[in-house]
Order: sequence, then structure tokens, then C-alpha cells
Amino acid sequence: MADMNAVHDAHDEHPTTTIREYLIIGLVLSVITAVELVMSLYEDELGVVLIPGLLIFSAIKFVIVVAMFMHLKFDSIRFTQIFAFGFVLATCLLIAVVVLFAYDATDAIGGGFIGDPIEHH
Amino acid sequence: MSAATHETEHHTSLGVDNRKLLMWIFLASECLFFGSLLSTYLIFKGESLSGPGTDIFAFEITSISTFVLLMSSLSMVLAVYGAQHGQLGLMKLMLLCTILLGLVFLGFQVYEFKTFASEGLTLSTNQFGASFYILTGFHGCHVGVGVLYLSSLLISSVRRNGIGKETPLYIDIGGLYWHFVDIVWIVLFTVVYLIPAY
Amino acid sequence: MATATDGVGTVQAEQSKVWEWLTTVDHKKIGTMYGITGFTYFLISGLTALAIRTQLAVPNGNVLSAELYNQFFTMHALMMIFLAIMPMGASFFNYFIPLQIGARDVAFPRLNALSYWVFLSGSLILFSSFFLGGAPDAGWFAYAPLTDAKYSVGSGLDFYCVGLIILGLSSLMASLNFAVTILNMRAPGMTMMRLPVYMWMTLVVSFLLILSLPIVTVALVMLYFDRNFTTNFFTPETGGDPILWQHLFWLFGHPEVYVLILPSMGIVSEVIPVFSRKPLFGYAAIVFAGASIGVLGFGVWAHHMFTTGLGTVPALVFSATTMGIGVPTGVKIFNWLSTMYGGSIRFTTSMYFAVAFIAMFTIGGISGVMHASPAVDSQHQDTYFVVAHIHYVLFGGAIMGIFSGIFYWWPKMTGRFLSEISGKWSFWVMFAGMNLTFFPMHFLGVSGMPRRIYTYDEGFGWDDWNMVATIGSYLIGVSILIFLINVFRTMRQPATAPDNPWDAPTLEWATSSPPPEHDFDVVPEVHSSMPLWTNREMGIVTPEAPEGLHIHLPPSSYMPLILAIGVGLIGVGLLSHLALVGIGVAISTYGVWGWSIEPTD
Repeated sequence: MADMNAVHDAHDEHPTTTIREYLIIGLVLSVITAVELVMSLYEDELGVVLIPGLLIFSAIKFVIVVAMFMHLKFDSIRFTQIFAFGFVLATCLLIAVVVLFAYDATDAIGGGFIGDPIEHH
Repeated sequence: MSAATHETEHHTSLGVDNRKLLMWIFLASECLFFGSLLSTYLIFKGESLSGPGTDIFAFEITSISTFVLLMSSLSMVLAVYGAQHGQLGLMKLMLLCTILLGLVFLGFQVYEFKTFASEGLTLSTNQFGASFYILTGFHGCHVGVGVLYLSSLLISSVRRNGIGKETPLYIDIGGLYWHFVDIVWIVLFTVVYLIPAY
Repeated sequence: MATATDGVGTVQAEQSKVWEWLTTVDHKKIGTMYGITGFTYFLISGLTALAIRTQLAVPNGNVLSAELYNQFFTMHALMMIFLAIMPMGASFFNYFIPLQIGARDVAFPRLNALSYWVFLSGSLILFSSFFLGGAPDAGWFAYAPLTDAKYSVGSGLDFYCVGLIILGLSSLMASLNFAVTILNMRAPGMTMMRLPVYMWMTLVVSFLLILSLPIVTVALVMLYFDRNFTTNFFTPETGGDPILWQHLFWLFGHPEVYVLILPSMGIVSEVIPVFSRKPLFGYAAIVFAGASIGVLGFGVWAHHMFTTGLGTVPALVFSATTMGIGVPTGVKIFNWLSTMYGGSIRFTTSMYFAVAFIAMFTIGGISGVMHASPAVDSQHQDTYFVVAHIHYVLFGGAIMGIFSGIFYWWPKMTGRFLSEISGKWSFWVMFAGMNLTFFPMHFLGVSGMPRRIYTYDEGFGWDDWNMVATIGSYLIGVSILIFLINVFRTMRQPATAPDNPWDAPTLEWATSSPPPEHDFDVVPEVHSSMPLWTNREMGIVTPEAPEGLHIHLPPSSYMPLILAIGVGLIGVGLLSHLALVGIGVAISTYGVWGWSIEPTD
């Protein structure tokens, strides 16, 4: 009997991270933030690398906090799945909406006003 | 099977605590909340028909407040550590630290808003102002709620009986909320402040 | 009753019935309150629809003024969606989640009570707008810039913002509670793939709400700020973007459509196997179809916006996803038909409504897929064709499903059978009425009648079909009257229903009718997705409850009520004087604090 789908009781096991390790993680997070800050000051030199670079660094910080501070790494996989679903959905919708606005609809077929000459696009 | 619900309370289908599951689902919901606010901000980014634009940002102040919030996450995780390892003194001290750092962050935000307002950026100045204030303002509200939340945990824990045998769980769940507010700021700091207008 | 459990019992027994209901945390009582409130709003909203149809019965009607007409069609939609169909769905969710998964209550009983009271305060705020300077009048999706303070001068749209934010808060709390309950409180042996389909649909609906409500909350806050705090998010003159409102609204609004229809799909998935005396055909397919509708539901929102000029590529993408979402819906329809095929069908009223659901929903679904084509959609935009479509889906679909559920579960909830004869009368009158009302709207739409016009001239060829639609709407009114008489007569009879009158396979029928406060004497153990049928085949007998049964139930609490009053006051304050907000916050804080320190054991 019992629950066939019961995952082992994960919530009673505390993460094994020590205070020292937490402090190191905090230091790493601070250093990444400092690097980001410096990067943003050299906007012109970095050019196209800047935005992806900043996004990657902030993604690393995000993952570190979620995995270690919110200890998803040690917790039930269900939490990761649920949170990831929400986060991925939010990201996709954000990108979709921003792209829809960046897309200049009045230049396209189907956009514009009724009766616009077709060669106008 | 025994008929007592006590048993079912401690033995859940997914093997996780109900309250913790609730918090994680809630945080998934919050992702959509901040996602919508951030979309609005990005759509209007750089659109200022009149008045100041993103060049109004003062990096020094924001960098310090970002650092403060990052450190509050560190103190929060140490509070959780204290609760889980029975070091209640450490837990209370670190909770207090987290609350104070949260308040400092809020203070910086109030200062920032006041400065921007005096430089002519208000809710009605332009789209940039409106979407910036509503985005960071809602984040500030979340920090504020977090401060109240953690304060109530701290007050409960210093009472004579403390929170009881479930202290680690309550601190843990409070910590999840706090860290979430921090990761929202990690994203906002990069996207709003560091990435230049295009 | 709860009083049997401990020493406080005798004190509780003396407390009045009203106090008992005000402080209850029992999911069955909360479900009942949701049901009664929802049905009341269903009646009120139905009356506004009758007024609308009376106005439109003949050309140049003068029953309603243009202003009142705008308020009526807006409030008709808002009340039907947020105050009638959603709460009636929540009523069944509350009542049957614990019963169907074999739990003694939902995961958070007090949060459950709080959701109801917050729902009530939000609904009263929204409804009171009728008497406080005019209801919202910009349609339920409230397109900017119509909602701008410049074009909508009354406070109706402020009521819309505040009311919907509070209702959203209530739905969010309820959905979080339901999701946790279904994921985490299942009876031993009840794996996810043994959940009743209704529970699966409930889970999908809960996640849809959890993930879509925050989006509309953001939009509503921005609209409120636009109207009250001088921002310009949606006003084009000052650089704002009305299209942004449409995106944010439909990002919520389309999942919301599935929130309205999926519960009914779940109900007919329970009803059809029972009355066909056959297991559901393709259980896994129907579950995955429901889940994929939930996921795809987030990717189709812009099909409401084809005429805003999305551009070619986005229009194609949303056209494709919209057609795609028809596939899982079709899978479900074939599953229901295949379940009936070869079964020995019992034609009860509940089965009538369920079969009508399939037929009517298919019509509504097909006219929906038509709108997946941007070209067709551009023709139908804002005509009565769209009105016909949504009513086939929401009346022919959601409401028919809810009535099927009412007739199916009434014996379990009350211990009494609704009259089958009277029930079939109400079914046929409703079925005829709804088709007479909504089918002609297809013709009206194709011949160009715009929706939301409060009157029209003679000579457009719209006169006859409008008269037919109005006659049909009165027939629907008659059918509801027949149903109400049925209910009142039934409730005066003694409760004689046995535990499992329909010979159904799910767990709610394993306990008495109506169920005891603790739901199950013995928490059942589950061996298949149709536990009661399997148990009978395998000869498994539920063990007798042990002597001196001591079942711990959560004590009742008035903190949810206090907290909800606080939240309601915050809402009232946002609409009147900010000082009230302060009082509301103070009361809420007291509620939260009292909540957190009150003993739950």
C-alpha cells in the first residue's frame, strides 16, 4: 500500500552546505555584480558583447541563488519543475510580447489600413 | 490505514510539505507578475516623448542598494542554516540582519524615487517614468511585505515559547520568499539599470 | 457534526447556525456558499441579459437607455464570468476535490474560507457599482482608450479595476489551495494517473489561474493608475499604447476562457461513463488533451487581436496555434462519443445535459476554429457572430456542463434527488431556448449586425432574427424557473438518497449522502482509476470504522472573515477615501496576526 508515487521525504534532509560555503557563494555573487557594473561602464568598447554578457552573468547569479540559497539543488524535484514552468512561461511571454511590439506591423501585409496600396510594404 | 488525519498530514502524496509547495507555486505565479511588469517596461523603454529618460540613473546609489539586497540574501540563508541546525541565536541575529538590510534597501529606493522626482521624472512625465516607477515600486512593495513577514517570524521566535518544532520549516519558507525578491532584483538590476537604452 | 470531537463541542453546539456558517472552514459548507452565491449572481446576470434582449427585440427599442444598455452588457459578461460560472465551478471544486481524492479536507481550510469571503467582498464591490454612480460600461475586456478617464467619466471603470483585482486575489488563493490539495493530499494508491478526470481538469484550471491572474492584475493596476494617478500607459495622445492593454488582457483572457470551460469538460467526463455504464474511453488521452489545452492556452491570445494589425508572421503564428488547440479539444469530443458508443446508456437529466454539452460545445468550437483564420476573423470581428460563438461555448458548453453536474451531484450534496420529470422539462426548454437565442446570432453577425449596439433601425434584415433570439432568451428564463421550482420542491422532501445511487466509480460515492463532516470514516485505499467498480469486481470491502472513532478536524475560525473585511475595506477605500484603506490595512494586519497565532490543532 502506502503511496506508490511518494517521493522520498526530501524535506527533512537539510542541505549540507556549511556557513563557510555560504560565505563563499555570497562573495562570488558580489564579484559577479561588480564585474557586471564594470562591464556597463565600458559600453562602447564591448559593443555587441555587452548585452548577452550582462544577461549571462545575471542568469548565473539567478541560478546560484535558486539552487543554493533556495536549495532547489537539494530539495524535491517537484519544486524545481513547478518554479521552472512559471519562470520559463513568463520569459517566453515576455519575449513574445516585446517582439510583437518591436515588429513594425504597419510595414507588413495584413497590417496598415484597409485600402493601403499593396506595394506600400 | 489509521483513521486519524494526523497521519495524512505528515504523509503527503509528493512527500513534501503542503506549505512549502504552496510557496513554490505562488512564486511561479509571481514570475508571471514581474514578467508582465518587465514586458511593459521594455516595451516603453527609451520612449520618452518629454522629460528625462534612462540617463537619469545614478549607478553608484543603485549598485550599493543592489549589494545590500544581495547581502540580505546571504544573511537570510544563514538564518535558515541556524534554524535547521538548532542554532537559534544565529537564526535570530541573521533574521534581524536581513530585516535591517531590507529596510536599508527600501531607504535607498525612497531616496532614489525622491531624487528622480526632483529631477522632473514623475508618474505622469512619460512612459519611461510610469513603467519604471510601477515596476520598481512593486518590487519595493514585495521587499516591504518581506520585511513585515520576516519581522513577524522574528517576533514569534523571541516569544517565550518560540515558533515550536516547525521553526526550520517556517524560516525556510520565509527565506524562499525573500530570496525570490532578491532574484527579481538580480534580473531588474541587469535589465533596467545596466543594459543601456537601444 | 464537529461538536462531537472535543470538550469545546458543547460550547460550539450552542452557537447559532449563522455563526457556524460565518466561521466554517469545512470545504463542503464553503462549496455550498460558493454555489448559492454563484447561482444568485447567475440569476441577476440572466435578468440583465433578458433586459438586453427585450431592448433588442424590435428595431428602435426603448426599454433601456444607451448608457444603461452599455452597463448591462458589460455587467452581464462580468457577472456571468467572474461571479457566476467561476464560483459555481469553485463550488464543485470545493465540495468534490477532497471527496474525489479521498482526503478529509483541502490542504488549507482557513485559506479556503478566506477565498470565499474575499470573493464575496469583491463581488459586492463590483455589483454595488450599479447603485454608486454607474456600473462599468466599456465591455468586459474594457479596451483602452474607452476606459480612459476622459471617455469613461463615471467611476464604473474604477469599480471594474478594484473589483476584478480583489476577485483575482480570491481566485488565486483558491487555486493555490486546490493545486496543493490535488498534488499532495491524495488517498493512498491514488496516483496522478488514477485521478478522476474532473480532478485533472481542476488541476489544470488551478494552474491556468495561478499563472494568468498576475498578468491581468498588472494590467488592472496600470488602468487604475491611468485613471487615478495620472500615468499614461494606455492613452495614445501622450505616448501610451492601447494595444498593450489588449495584449495583457488577452494573455489572461484566453486562459480564462479555458478556466470557464475545462470544469464542465471534467464534469461530463465523470457523467458520461457513469450513465453509459462503461469506463471512460481513452483516459490518458483525455488527461493529456486537457493538460495540453492548458499549456497551448497561453499561446493563442493574439487571435483576439487580428484586426489590430499584428503583421503577417505573428498573424500566421497565432492562426496556427489557434487551429492547433482545436486538436486536443477534438480528441476529447471523440473520447466522449466513443465512451457512449456501445454503452448501455441511461438517459437521466444529467446525461441529457452532458450530451447536449458535447453537441453545443462542438458548434461553438467549430465557429471558434473559423476565427483562427485572420481573414474570416476580420469579417466577424465585433459582429453578432462572435456573440453566437461565445454563447455556444459558454452557455451551450460551460452552463450545460454545470447543470449536468448539478443533477449528477445533487443527491450526494443534499441526500435528495431532483425530480427527473421536471428536470427533463427544464432541459428541453433550455435546449430549445438557447438554440433559438444564439443560433440566429450567427445569421445576424454574417449579415453585419455589430455587437454592443443598443438599438438598430428597420430595414437591415435584422428584425426577424432578433425577435426569434428574444423569444429564445425568455424560454431560457422559463427553464431556469422550472429548475428553481424543482429545487425548492426537492428540498422539502426527506433525504433518502443512498450512498451511490448512480452506481458511479469515483470515491465521493463511497461515503454517505450527504457526506459526514469528516468526509470518510475510513480513508479509502485506491487500486485503479475507477475505485468503486474495481473494488466491487475484486470483492474489496471497505473496512468498518473502528469503535470510538476520534477524527481531528480543524477548528472553525473567524479570522478569514476579518481578513476579508479588511481586504474589502481596502477596496472600498481605493474607490472612495484613502483613509478607509488605512483602516482596511489595520484590520487585515490584525486578521493576519490573529490567523498566524491561533491554534489549529
